[in-house]
Amino acid sequence: MEFRIDFYFRIIMDLNYYFISFAFFEIIYLHTNMLGGWSHEQAIIFIAGNLLMDSIVMSVFANNMWWFPLFVNKGDLDHYLTKPVSTLFFISLRDFSANSFVNFIMALSVFIWAIANYSIPLTWWQILVYFLLIINGAILYYIFNMIFYFPVFWTGSPRGFGNLYWILIHSIERPDRIYRGWVRKLFTTLLPFSIMVSFPARLILEEFSFEVLMHILLVTLISWPVYLFVWSRGLRAYSSASS
Amino acid sequence: MIEVKEISKEFKVSVKEPGLKGSIKSLFKREYIIKHALKKVNLHVKEGEILGLIGSNGAGKTTLVKILSGIIHASSGSAKVLGIDPWSRDNNLRSQMALIMGQKAQVWWDLPALDSFLLLQEIYQIPQSVYKKNIAFLADSLGVKDQLKTQVRKLSLGERMKVELMAALLHNPKVVYLDEPTIGLDLTAQKAIRHFLLAYQKEFKPAMILTSHYMDDIEKLCKRIVIMREGSVVYNGSLSEVRSQYAPEKIINVNLKQDEWSFEDVSTFAKKLGTITSFEEGVLRIKVNRDEVAKSCQLALENLPVQDLNIESADIGDLVEKIMLKGKQ
Repeated sequence: MEFRIDFYFRIIMDLNYYFISFAFFEIIYLHTNMLGGWSHEQAIIFIAGNLLMDSIVMSVFANNMWWFPLFVNKGDLDHYLTKPVSTLFFISLRDFSANSFVNFIMALSVFIWAIANYSIPLTWWQILVYFLLIINGAILYYIFNMIFYFPVFWTGSPRGFGNLYWILIHSIERPDRIYRGWVRKLFTTLLPFSIMVSFPARLILEEFSFEVLMHILLVTLISWPVYLFVWSRGLRAYSSASS
Repeated sequence: MIEVKEISKEFKVSVKEPGLKGSIKSLFKREYIIKHALKKVNLHVKEGEILGLIGSNGAGKTTLVKILSGIIHASSGSAKVLGIDPWSRDNNLRSQMALIMGQKAQVWWDLPALDSFLLLQEIYQIPQSVYKKNIAFLADSLGVKDQLKTQVRKLSLGERMKVELMAALLHNPKVVYLDEPTIGLDLTAQKAIRHFLLAYQKEFKPAMILTSHYMDDIEKLCKRIVIMREGSVVYNGSLSEVRSQYAPEKIINVNLKQDEWSFEDVSTFAKKLGTITSFEEGVLRIKVNRDEVAKSCQLALENLPVQDLNIESADIGDLVEKIMLKGKQ
């Protein structure tokens, strides 16, 4: 909030992204009634969930993740390593993006509006599960984004793999059923983009599936130690930078 | 407090030919060299001591500091800081340690320093009363009371360094690493920081390691120095010993009264005292053995038309350079 123009500009920029997300699906639904097994109003709930997750990531993690590979490349991680707190916690949450939080409020409003206008009434626990799994999706988004950034410890390159993640992550914006074969397997296991929002949406928009819920939780539980392991190996390889 | 035993560190560094051809070639076949940044380094620092770590660029000073602060791992050897292995990144150790790097900022660039300090208060769990007392002491000693509410990026380099020092010392660390804390500062700011560091050392008695290329920093702050060359320690001892060991002579500067002497007579007499290094415009410089200084001065005063006289010690920078270069040729 130190830079006012930047603050407002970023809010407008994110709103623009929200507008395009809705417009994209509106155009598709001009030509079809169903997409990935979902009707227009169901797709709206999915998009609202996606925007909500995006606003959480943008508020809490995005700025920090953006800086992380640069910290490693330039040796700025040094100071974080000397502080008596978890370095990973510190570098992941050091910068809270206030402007994105404004967008979070807007995304939450859209989310409530989408659910309130859904023709099939949802129970409070369905909404709660969806909301909690969206937060879980935001954490998964962060974990895998960081895993894509960790190679910087060995390659020294501040971007590279991170840019690849930004290309792949667009797959979360589509319902999981549009993916088939090995791509589907990939997006639900090793690169679990489809389970960040699309799977949670399926839990409330379709018949509740315990299997889907377990799938989401299992992937999250396995991802966490993998993420910590790669981080610790990365730190061992960290060579700082000349000063 | 700080014990270093046989620490070595090697880096694998890629090398490539300059230009486009070299870049394309390195895409397919990259060549690496092993750089020995530290070679079996031993040293210790006691409570309340400031150890000066000196060496030319690439000598391994910063690498050693980074190893001791737990930032990077050593390739071999062991180290204990406050009895704890620094690479364990133990929070107990990290809460009693501070690292100040003249070329890297730790306070938030876009925020006023006080906001960064509040975060550090939380990180180090500093009680409010201690926090207030330390802020007052540090801001007063460093003379930056009026700058703490200004965005850090708007401060001058000297003010920024003072704010960095405040941030690093807020929690009263028992071990302090200072990596070129006065780099790029003007003489007034350098002097202020030296004064502050001495006052801080007197008050809190931490073990300090100071690396600097400014010999004034070393002379004013350190009683003991370690000189490094190409990753090895080439000297570890007191600063005064450097002078007695590497500069067994002093220079006596004699200003002669105008027109009361002849060049030949003065030269003939001065040669009896020591070696004449220069004799121009009535100023005679004689190099004499340290033990003979008093006697030579007395003889000069008795036998020459002296207007004034002073004794000059060898420049510590020259001596350190001499040690650093010794055995290199």
